Amino acid sequence: MKILSIFISPLLALTIGLLFLGISRKITARIHWRYGPPVIQPLIDVIRSFSQKSISHGPFFDFGIILSLTSSIVLIFFLPIGNFYAMTSGGLIAFLYLMLLGPFGIALSSAASGNPNSSIGVSRKFLLALAYEVPLLLVLLAVMTHFNTISLVEIVNIQASTGMAFCSWALILPGVAYFLILPAILGVRPFEIVSAPQEISSGPVAEFGGKHLAFYTLQHALQLFVGLALFVDIFLGGGTLFGLLNPIAGTVWALILGVIIFLIKMLIVLIIGLFINAVFPRFRIEQAMQYLWKWPTLIAFIGLVIVVLIN
Amino acid sequence: MSLEILISVAFGGAFLTYFAGKISSKLRDILAVFFSLALVVIVSYLYKVETKFLLYNEFFGLPLVIRLNPMAWFFAIAIVSLSALAVIYSLSYMKHRERTDYYYFMLLLINAAMLAIVLSGDLVSFFISWEIMSWSTFLLISYNRNGALPAGIKYIVMSLIGSMCMLVGILSIYTSFHTVNISEIANHMATASSTYKLFLLVIFSITFGIKNAVMPLHTWLPDAYAESPSPFSAVLSGMLTRMGIFGFLLIMFVIVGAENTLYVGKGFFSYHSILAWLGAITIVIPTFIAMLQNDAKKLLAWHGIGQGGYMIVGIAFGTSLGLAGGIFHTLNHAIYIILLFLSVGAIEYSTNGLRDLNSLGGLFKKMPVAFLGGLLGICGLIGIPLTNGFVSKWLIYKTLILGKAPFLAFAALLGTWGTILSVFKFLHNLFLGQLPREHQNIKKTPLTMQIPIVILSLTILLFGILPGLPLKVINSIIVSYGFNSLNISIWGISSETGTLNMINIFTALLVVGSIFWFIFRAARKSTTVDQYDNYAAGAAIPKDKYNYTVEFYAPFYRMASPFLKDIFDVLYQKIAQFTEFLCDTIRKIYTGYIGDYVLYIILFLAFLISAQLKWSVF
Repeated sequence: MKILSIFISPLLALTIGLLFLGISRKITARIHWRYGPPVIQPLIDVIRSFSQKSISHGPFFDFGIILSLTSSIVLIFFLPIGNFYAMTSGGLIAFLYLMLLGPFGIALSSAASGNPNSSIGVSRKFLLALAYEVPLLLVLLAVMTHFNTISLVEIVNIQASTGMAFCSWALILPGVAYFLILPAILGVRPFEIVSAPQEISSGPVAEFGGKHLAFYTLQHALQLFVGLALFVDIFLGGGTLFGLLNPIAGTVWALILGVIIFLIKMLIVLIIGLFINAVFPRFRIEQAMQYLWKWPTLIAFIGLVIVVLIN
Repeated sequence: MSLEILISVAFGGAFLTYFAGKISSKLRDILAVFFSLALVVIVSYLYKVETKFLLYNEFFGLPLVIRLNPMAWFFAIAIVSLSALAVIYSLSYMKHRERTDYYYFMLLLINAAMLAIVLSGDLVSFFISWEIMSWSTFLLISYNRNGALPAGIKYIVMSLIGSMCMLVGILSIYTSFHTVNISEIANHMATASSTYKLFLLVIFSITFGIKNAVMPLHTWLPDAYAESPSPFSAVLSGMLTRMGIFGFLLIMFVIVGAENTLYVGKGFFSYHSILAWLGAITIVIPTFIAMLQNDAKKLLAWHGIGQGGYMIVGIAFGTSLGLAGGIFHTLNHAIYIILLFLSVGAIEYSTNGLRDLNSLGGLFKKMPVAFLGGLLGICGLIGIPLTNGFVSKWLIYKTLILGKAPFLAFAALLGTWGTILSVFKFLHNLFLGQLPREHQNIKKTPLTMQIPIVILSLTILLFGILPGLPLKVINSIIVSYGFNSLNISIWGISSETGTLNMINIFTALLVVGSIFWFIFRAARKSTTVDQYDNYAAGAAIPKDKYNYTVEFYAPFYRMASPFLKDIFDVLYQKIAQFTEFLCDTIRKIYTGYIGDYVLYIILFLAFLISAQLKWSVF
């Protein structure tokens, strides 16, 4: 099972991540009354980028981008996608730390390029990360304290027997807070500060072309996948649906259906998020930080206090 | 048998090196390296030896003892090996400076004093070694004179306050139990009242809190770290400051005892929970202040304070896991902070003393070894998986989360996420970005400066991938305190509530990484361009003036800088000024004229006489 998931999970995550990128572009375009690119456009772009010219600013420029994609794939091994997971070592804390490596690799790579626009983008990325990590850490601590475990798999398993965490009284506020910061984690519309093409010529991506850009896009797709999948795993019970699969538990069908349910949940979260966020203009970085440190943090904090009081 | 050799090599080596310097500087360098390496050999030879040695029998009727146990060995090996690296590094760094004999003498003397501290079996020899360490530290902090002198004075004043507290504690222990031997005191402690235990814990905590720079007793540290010579900053931050952690371990778990320490007080207002919260504050505030620093060494110094908080939280929480995390973090912190100070030192050496984060950049092309050190150092500081910092922080987080202390855990995690920002600024402004033209032809890093950097970088990875090596020793320390043994394997730690297996993560990263590396190589080859060949969306690029370093996190500075002042430093300065004013006023009474003193006597007599006449008091 673990061996199987080592091969399946990354491929699934890469394709679904790219597909979601396409879907989000399409939906945003339809909300804006544009036609929009085809859904598989990001996939086409990645394949094409590999054969195109690229420039390099030395070994660390290449190293950073490889490190970033590598760590994103390793992150996928930790995520229970339905019943598929390959690694549990270190639990959610190790997961959180590995989530760092992706942006860190990109930052290393862009900063090694010597392009000031990239450096500005990197500084914005870290500020935004600090801004959303404050509520995110509170949310994850509430979840870990409530279930009294640091294992992601166990969190999903407990929900399979007790129902979705999002519907329980204890964890509804952390769930809401996570949903509010989700666009910041994914780097979409109101929080599109990092790449801001009109201001800093796409920021960290400015020097990437060809295979570097392809690697970056793949990493971006994985980041989208991880952000959504973590929400589904922690608050929406992963690949379970009100005990629907219990009669056929253990069979191959249950396995496949589990993954499908998981992906449908992700898609629903993505689309709801897009509907809300596509109509907003871009925040300035201070506004983003103030927003993220105000409402989501407050909600997450109250959520954590409630969890502590209940237990 | 070997303990007296160890102590005599340590102290004798320091003096011999000093006198050798009077003969020839080459001989002095050789002796300094020889003695520091000899200490490493002797201490590693003493692995798993538990022994005692009567140093001097008649110190006012008290026997002075040195002894070796797992805790002493662990700190001793860290002290001697890290100091040896600092000595090797100093060979080139301190060349062509004045007063080098004195520098090496002090460095080796501090080394010896730290050894004596961890080995001492009674509180009197502990106190004496502590004072030798404090005073020689003062001399080395102010080695550079000018700006360094006030930093040194600030240090020694605070250090003296700490020493006085310790002296009071030792005297009170002696008057109650009539012994200064640590193991005998520990036996007597069972009969002591809980108020007395609390008194001891608090008075010693002030001493060790000052040394370990626990907030609000941290104010000596940033200046001291920034102003001392870099190899000594490394020793100071890596081991010397952490003598405070050794002291905390000694007073909490050896002298007072674990079962007593953890139950002094009630609920939140118990000793260990207040200490843990002080630790949490120590993590968060300095981390954010570090973000505002523009001096590379000061930035590291603030992180030195912040990381000390993790150790305090881990130790104060008082479970096997937390204690293991705290002690392991002490070692890990020593390794990566020394590495970072040595990397900054290499830059200082090559650019003739520059360490300003706003005027450097792009040095990774010119100083690859220092860059490697800086990169792995900050990875360890953040605690990125596969570096040693990850394992110890993981242990501390896990303790806090499963110990139902989510708010402490939040402080600890927030500290890490704040750390990323400032250390990336550190890495970016020194090594990444564009290389300014005036630094195109800088001095090369000498080999003796590269060797310590490489060794420390490899150690970070080694302890990150195989954390079981040091954790086994740490486990024996925890068992000696009377805690449950942890289930340690060479690649991590296993328990019923979640295992950590670094080999797994390492293999996954390695395999996936090499796959992507091959894909990357197989794709169309990219052309290498120089740093001025940048895309700026069609704008003209002014050469050499196009680097983003000053105010790296400008929006954040605008928001946060009004809130991030070191209020305690301001407060202490005010107190110092007030004391100075008070003393000045009192001094005015002592004018030095005999006539004035006669006047005082007559006035006093007159007062007495009139008091007698009016109220007839006598």
